[in-house]
Amino acid sequence: MVETLVLIEHVRRCVKCSSLHGITLARQLGGDYALLILGQGLDEIAASLVSYGASAVIVADDPALTEPLADRYATVIAEAARKHDSRTVLGTSSTFSKDVLPRAAALLDVPMVSDVLAIEEKNGSTSYRRPVNAGSMLATVKLEGDRRVLTARATAFEAPAADAAACPIERFEFDVASLPKGMEFISREQRISGRPDLTEAAVVVCGGRPLKDRETFERLVGGLADALGGAVGATRAAVDAGMAPNDYQVGQTGKVIAPQLYIGIGISGAIQHLAGIKDSRVIVAINKDPDAPIFQVATYGLVGDLHQIVPQFIDALRRG
Amino acid sequence: MKILVPFKSVPDPNDATVPGEAGSATKSVINPFDEIAIEEALRIRERGDAGEIVGVTIGAPAVDEQIRAALAMGIDRAIRIDDSRALDPYAVARILHALIEKEVPHIVIMGKQAVDDDSNQVGQTLAALLRWPQATFVSKIEFLDNKTRARCTRETDGGLEVIAIELPALITTDLRLNEPRYASLPALMRARRKSIEVLTCDDLRVAVRPLTTVLSIVRPPKRPAGARVDSVEELIAKLRREAKVL
Amino acid sequence: MDFAWSDQQRELLDAVGRFASQQLNYNMIENDRNGVFNHDAWKKCGGFGIQGLLVPAEYGGLGMHPLTAVAALERLGYACRDNGLLFSINAHMWTAITPLVYSGSETQKKKYLPGLCDGTLIGGNAMSEPNSGSDAFSLATTAVKKGPKYILNGSKIFVTNGPVADLLVVFATVDKARGANGVSAFLVEKDSPGMTVARKLEKMGLRTSPMAEIFFENCEVPEENLLGKEGAGGSQFTGAMTWERGCILASAVGSMQRSLETCVRYAKERRQFGQPIGKFQLVATKLVDMKLRVESARHMLYHYAWLRGQGKSAYLEAAMTKLHISDCWVKCCEDAIQIHGGYGYMTEYEFERELRDAIGSKLYSGTSEMQRNIIASLLL
Repeated sequence: MVETLVLIEHVRRCVKCSSLHGITLARQLGGDYALLILGQGLDEIAASLVSYGASAVIVADDPALTEPLADRYATVIAEAARKHDSRTVLGTSSTFSKDVLPRAAALLDVPMVSDVLAIEEKNGSTSYRRPVNAGSMLATVKLEGDRRVLTARATAFEAPAADAAACPIERFEFDVASLPKGMEFISREQRISGRPDLTEAAVVVCGGRPLKDRETFERLVGGLADALGGAVGATRAAVDAGMAPNDYQVGQTGKVIAPQLYIGIGISGAIQHLAGIKDSRVIVAINKDPDAPIFQVATYGLVGDLHQIVPQFIDALRRG
Repeated sequence: MKILVPFKSVPDPNDATVPGEAGSATKSVINPFDEIAIEEALRIRERGDAGEIVGVTIGAPAVDEQIRAALAMGIDRAIRIDDSRALDPYAVARILHALIEKEVPHIVIMGKQAVDDDSNQVGQTLAALLRWPQATFVSKIEFLDNKTRARCTRETDGGLEVIAIELPALITTDLRLNEPRYASLPALMRARRKSIEVLTCDDLRVAVRPLTTVLSIVRPPKRPAGARVDSVEELIAKLRREAKVL
Repeated sequence: MDFAWSDQQRELLDAVGRFASQQLNYNMIENDRNGVFNHDAWKKCGGFGIQGLLVPAEYGGLGMHPLTAVAALERLGYACRDNGLLFSINAHMWTAITPLVYSGSETQKKKYLPGLCDGTLIGGNAMSEPNSGSDAFSLATTAVKKGPKYILNGSKIFVTNGPVADLLVVFATVDKARGANGVSAFLVEKDSPGMTVARKLEKMGLRTSPMAEIFFENCEVPEENLLGKEGAGGSQFTGAMTWERGCILASAVGSMQRSLETCVRYAKERRQFGQPIGKFQLVATKLVDMKLRVESARHMLYHYAWLRGQGKSAYLEAAMTKLHISDCWVKCCEDAIQIHGGYGYMTEYEFERELRDAIGSKLYSGTSEMQRNIIASLLL
């Protein structure tokens, strides 16, 4: 019996750090928790997860799970939850967890809350705070029954310390033959870059439509990000205009980020974009329009021509 | 091939089209992601790959306006499941499940999330209840093997992913799948003459309660507007000494 | 008297607003600077149903009630910032479509109206000449019958849509001696032999609406393209003008509403001397005046349209509506610039273009002076 299962993500043989933040929520919920990973060839990853104070690292390792196909993964996750009689299954919000966890919740016949920002326990009942309407409003909800599936915004929970005594690694056995086979993985277009992951970087530099074209975008936004050791993001408008690939998109329907430092270049601050950056610790805005809405939320605002300012910025940083 | 498109009526996220000084009522529209789903269904039919397109929504009579908008875009038939309760994804999926057992579509295409609730659960939940393959956050759909399978490109955190799924299946749409057409005035006027089938949960023999209760919805605390700086030098100095992020 | 819209009207108006805001605002500043006509947007409007709002359904239109139609044009003006495009559409609706609907033969209507409604054909009229503007019927272009053809000779100026028109309603006289009773209307297709669309005219505003000077040198027009009867041109023109005067500034009411909302938002947000500028009386007064203009313009427009729906000619109301809305529009644009201070003067903020566009409204469809003449002649 394990109170909470925390789904941990991994990509290209490494743990996705932001998924570890789910452990913090598990700790807040109380009771014991186990870390659940699915995939193939997971020995190294499992070994790296033993110090997070879990009662176990549960590993579902099989060639059938090499790729995260939702029908198979949901089946295994649901089985693991049933076997361990877990009241909660949770993961941090990502396209992976959003694809898989609602399906698992349905198989378990339990309700689910998406994008939890915080929980509150009162008189033995839990309420969950989550963003709605592109993050322009905060809803507090409660669930009936004592079982649930949750996804949590990684940026709303601290990274957990890895200082506990090592826990056992448990191999989860399941019937491979009875896994659904209606989905097949074909290919993935992974962009390998030297820059940190957008959702994990401490510094993110985002560009908007005024960057005009891919070359200028890369030179100015990419250049500044590289000078700061940060990641590159883009508004939906910039992605639609072909200046940046879709996985750079930050906003309501793209990635939600909360870096230590966010710099928005040529970004007016439409609500759909702000929804993705509001929780950044420091927001810097560079825009020629002094009335741009982003200046309402910026910690520091610099009004001027980005084509002049950004090269100056990069230069000043390089000079140290 | 019959395509079923569930759609939701939501408050207009982009209210710059209705004159409104202080106090004007909010307009409702078809959830933008569901509009993309309707558009995709229409394009599939225009390619000759689909027969009937059926739209379904759950709500009170007021949502008939959005149903007419969907009919005006070109869907063949529309169903409103009459239920004015505040539902949650749990309940919505189970009601739709009952409807799908009745309609028996070959494929369900719907938006990945409603822009008011932003839960992104209904499609996946429904796929599980149906025991159907799913393709979420799809930006491209192609049919293979005489429409027994579909090849879907998905927008994920790590980039684009391509999977193949057996039909019948459920697909949720992402923003870049297509740009929906607008319905013309003549189409809107014609849609008024089309009939909308109204069903109740009793008709579908489904009795389900939402398990989520919304306790409150509030605006997040306003972030204090910060300082203007006049130069790159000043900005760097403040980031180093004041904010300590450099 | 019911001042509320029905659910159906509301749905249609909202659809117009959404369509316009998403499909018709494109590259505004650059297109205005370069005088580029948005043909793509024209076709979209046709497909959507704008051009055919008042055309009977059997010819491809929507046969809408005039009140709903002007409200639709008003909403179009609210959501679409391309005043030039709307001006071209209006010219097409009132000067080409309307004469056809009222005076065209079955054959002519069936031949041209569907295309004029669905966006595939662009229409306009050629009335004004270098020497006849307000004094319209003193025109000098002649039409002489020769066998099965009319031969047109003369020149026309200020032909809106001239450079892009597929069909023009050209007014010429078959007998100068008869004065106004000699004026006749002809349907002239583009590329008619002897017709030259000469220089494109550059304007102060409405620059995305193309305008040209046109020369007719022994231009041949088949006799079946005479609209109605010889000598009926005067009354055809007057009839179409009564629609044009009342309706052409419907979209201006929408533009003024948008301007007002923008100014109110700005007055609340822009702070000077420690407070929102809306708290200063001199700014607030301007907003009040803008609001009064929008409301009074709207009421005149709706009343005129309602009368037309009742089958009344509304000749007086048409002139009053045109005169009043044009005055209001120009003043609103001036106030909008003033309220925005320096930003109001900047091309980027688009207020200066609105003003340049609005000034034309006191000149076309009969100058403000002509409207006053008409009103005075009906009062006295």
